[in-house]
Amino acid sequence: MKFIIQVLITAAVCFVLQSFLPWWSMAIGAAAVAYVIDNKGGISFLAGLLGVALLWFAMALYIDMSSHAILTAKVNKLLPIPALALTAIVGGLVGGLSALSGALLKSTFSFQK
Amino acid sequence: MKIAKSLFVCAITAALVFFLNQSWNFGTPLPPFSKFLDPFHGFWQNAGDGSSRDVIAAIPGLKSKVTVVYDSALIPHIYAENDDDLFAAQGYITAQNRLWQMEFQTHAAAGRISEIIGEKALDFDRTQRRLGMVFAAENAVAAMDKNPVAKAMVESYTRGINAYIASLSYEQLPIEYKLLGYQPEPWTPVKTGLLLKYMAKTLSTGEKDLEMTNALKLFGKDTLDLIYPDHEGWSDPIVDNTGKWNFKPITLDSVPLALPNELVALQPFEKSPPNVGSNNWAVAGSKTKTGSPILCNDPHLELSLPSIWYIIHLNAPGINCMGASLPGSPNVISGFNDSIAWGVTNAQRDVVDWYKVKFNGRGKDQYESDGQWKATSKKIEVFKVKGKIDFYDTVVYTHHGPAVYDESFHGDGEKNHFAYRWIAHEPSEEALTFYKLNRANSHADYMEALNHFTAPAQNFVFASVSGDIAMRIQGKYPVRRKNEGKFVLDGTRTSQEWQAFIPNEQNVMYKNPERGFVSSANQYPADLTYPYFVTASNWEAYRNRRINEVLAAANNITPQDMMKLQLDNYNLKAAESLPHWLSQLDSMSLQGAEKEAFEKLRSWDYFNSVDSEGASYYEAWLRAILPMVWDEMSESKVALSRPSTYMTIRLLKEKPDLAFFDIKATAEKENARDIIRKSFSEGVAAMEKWKSEKKLNPKWGTFKDAIVGHLLNKMEAFSYHIEHGGNGSAVNAHSRTHGPSWRMVVSLEKAGVQAWGVYPGGQSGNPGSPYYNSLLGLWTNGEYVKFHFANRPENLKGKELSTITLNAE
Repeated sequence: MKFIIQVLITAAVCFVLQSFLPWWSMAIGAAAVAYVIDNKGGISFLAGLLGVALLWFAMALYIDMSSHAILTAKVNKLLPIPALALTAIVGGLVGGLSALSGALLKSTFSFQK
Repeated sequence: MKIAKSLFVCAITAALVFFLNQSWNFGTPLPPFSKFLDPFHGFWQNAGDGSSRDVIAAIPGLKSKVTVVYDSALIPHIYAENDDDLFAAQGYITAQNRLWQMEFQTHAAAGRISEIIGEKALDFDRTQRRLGMVFAAENAVAAMDKNPVAKAMVESYTRGINAYIASLSYEQLPIEYKLLGYQPEPWTPVKTGLLLKYMAKTLSTGEKDLEMTNALKLFGKDTLDLIYPDHEGWSDPIVDNTGKWNFKPITLDSVPLALPNELVALQPFEKSPPNVGSNNWAVAGSKTKTGSPILCNDPHLELSLPSIWYIIHLNAPGINCMGASLPGSPNVISGFNDSIAWGVTNAQRDVVDWYKVKFNGRGKDQYESDGQWKATSKKIEVFKVKGKIDFYDTVVYTHHGPAVYDESFHGDGEKNHFAYRWIAHEPSEEALTFYKLNRANSHADYMEALNHFTAPAQNFVFASVSGDIAMRIQGKYPVRRKNEGKFVLDGTRTSQEWQAFIPNEQNVMYKNPERGFVSSANQYPADLTYPYFVTASNWEAYRNRRINEVLAAANNITPQDMMKLQLDNYNLKAAESLPHWLSQLDSMSLQGAEKEAFEKLRSWDYFNSVDSEGASYYEAWLRAILPMVWDEMSESKVALSRPSTYMTIRLLKEKPDLAFFDIKATAEKENARDIIRKSFSEGVAAMEKWKSEKKLNPKWGTFKDAIVGHLLNKMEAFSYHIEHGGNGSAVNAHSRTHGPSWRMVVSLEKAGVQAWGVYPGGQSGNPGSPYYNSLLGLWTNGEYVKFHFANRPENLKGKELSTITLNAE
């Protein structure tokens, strides 16, 4: 349950942050959410990964569909794998690692208390 | 332990974020990955097009409100209250659609591409700096500063572009910036100057003085006159005015020019290809259906995306003008207004010379001139090469111009230093010509406007609603003695320098000729009775005759007839060479593929239509025969230039035993007939290879394999492959990479000017926009856009896509 909550909150928080700030704000968001929700490291990593990957994928898919994929088709020729997939993977990787960092920091500080 | 572990993960995460936020170059350059893929700010934000929404935007300093209506082809119609606001809006709107291109082209002009794509552009960049491109642009701006109209125009245009740049956030940047990881910098008037000089370089630097000097030494003057004659013998000058040159020409002292006697072993920089050219013509009302003149123009340039041209309609008190503009320069360059229309083709004239300079030593502080030592000036050029340390180059300037070639650049040791004399280095006011043409009402206005035009020399065609048609070959041309300008010149003697310029009123021109039309297609401007020596690197030999033949025979001409002529695929070159070549083959003994090729060629109608196979076989033959004839040129250790195809074809017919027809690599002695036979077999073999590799029918459109390439090295993702008819020597001069970059037809009717135009691209420079290539399909199919030439925004009702309102704040 906490896993799904982390996924959803990560996506929501990162959506808000990225609407105003550059892309790396998503890393801070994913880490902060992981810190607060306090899942175990591995679960946090997966939740952060999934949260950001879903957000980026959904946003990119929305743009792709509303623009009839004109640009997606062109950019796909520049990339080793389709842009939609790569967007989700790159976003997810950063989101996951950031969440893992947040979770580990939390456990480090709780241990010290 | 736990602390170490979590710090380690944090560090990895931070490193990843850093890595993904940077551009990298591992052999191929990579964009900042996350930044690029981020759907909130990265390339995804370039998808679609915001142009269909009405917006209100600001340009600081506007005096009144400006209304811009985009029509359904995304052509902007700008309605302003005064000139300053009009130019500010032109800058803003052009930048909105073409910002990356405008900056990239001016970076290219200024020799700054290595800042963007790295070391591989360094030689190109050094060439630009050493040719004095920035020097030329600065001189142009200094001249504009002296004229209040030109100064205000360029400054307003600059202000408009910068207002647009200032409004951009990262997600709105054109995708190329995101891909290459850099930012636009503020526009300046010098950038406008650079753009105009870039066009001048494309159009006026095809000279081959070094190559001709080598040819003179290797082959001798008699052979040179035979294979590179000043006049190739065809007889359709632009202005056919035999013996009626009623002026007293300027004459220079009669000291005959000493021809050089040396080999120049340096490697010349890459020249504009000879397929840069253009057509324009105007027919008088006496030959048209409506009784009003029709004017046509199609400039042939490299076809690129974003396109070189941008269609725009400029309206303010005193001006209602529409046509093709160059992104980066104010005004319309080829277009029409309520009273007149005009168009341009390249005049080809030689306005470039190379002077061999003698420096006093390695320091190059002084150089010799008439026995005196004059001081040089030096400009240190810095190249901020991406991913490398800065590169420094010192360019030495003499009074001739910059010493382009020396021991550090394409030179051969310390003996050969060549300085570049180029008319485009001189202060000039081309922008004023277009300002005045945009507002011209009559032939007299056109003549006055052209007086301001220096370079690149152009054939300006003209027609007016009042019924006049005219042609004028305008530029600033040095008065030349015979043979001057064809070879390198001695820079130590002032007697070899340009002494005087042909006065404007003595340039080649005429108005309302009896034949009822004027035309130009980069051919010779006038016959030998014109009292000045005229030379160029090449003159067009085919399109001009086809155009004149069609126009002379036509009556009751409609605009549709003129479109048909712009799209005419008749290959006069083939018609003049193929029957002779085929007659030289032993047709009875041909077998297999050669027999099949022979039949296809024999039954070909000489039209390079998209489905023709004969056209492909002819092209394959031509590609085999030219290098075979001129093997002496390609195998030479010093740079040489191949004679024209026209001369090659004539020599094959008229001088079958010419020494050049002997193939160097073989023991036998070949003549023209042997060459024709061997090249036929070679051409057919090449065609068979092509067919087996591609597994396709060699239809001309397929075989030509044409591409409209993105400005970034024809990057496949943003480029298009097209199938279109035509070829370099057909009126529809579309070759693999070059062709009609803009087609315009204007009917100057008293009831209102009607106009059509199209170019192979689209109004938007954004590869993510449906308007990036929306005109390309029309162009390829030979269709045109009918322009909405509305003098008030209300008259565009029902045709508008969106409206942009520009205010001061």
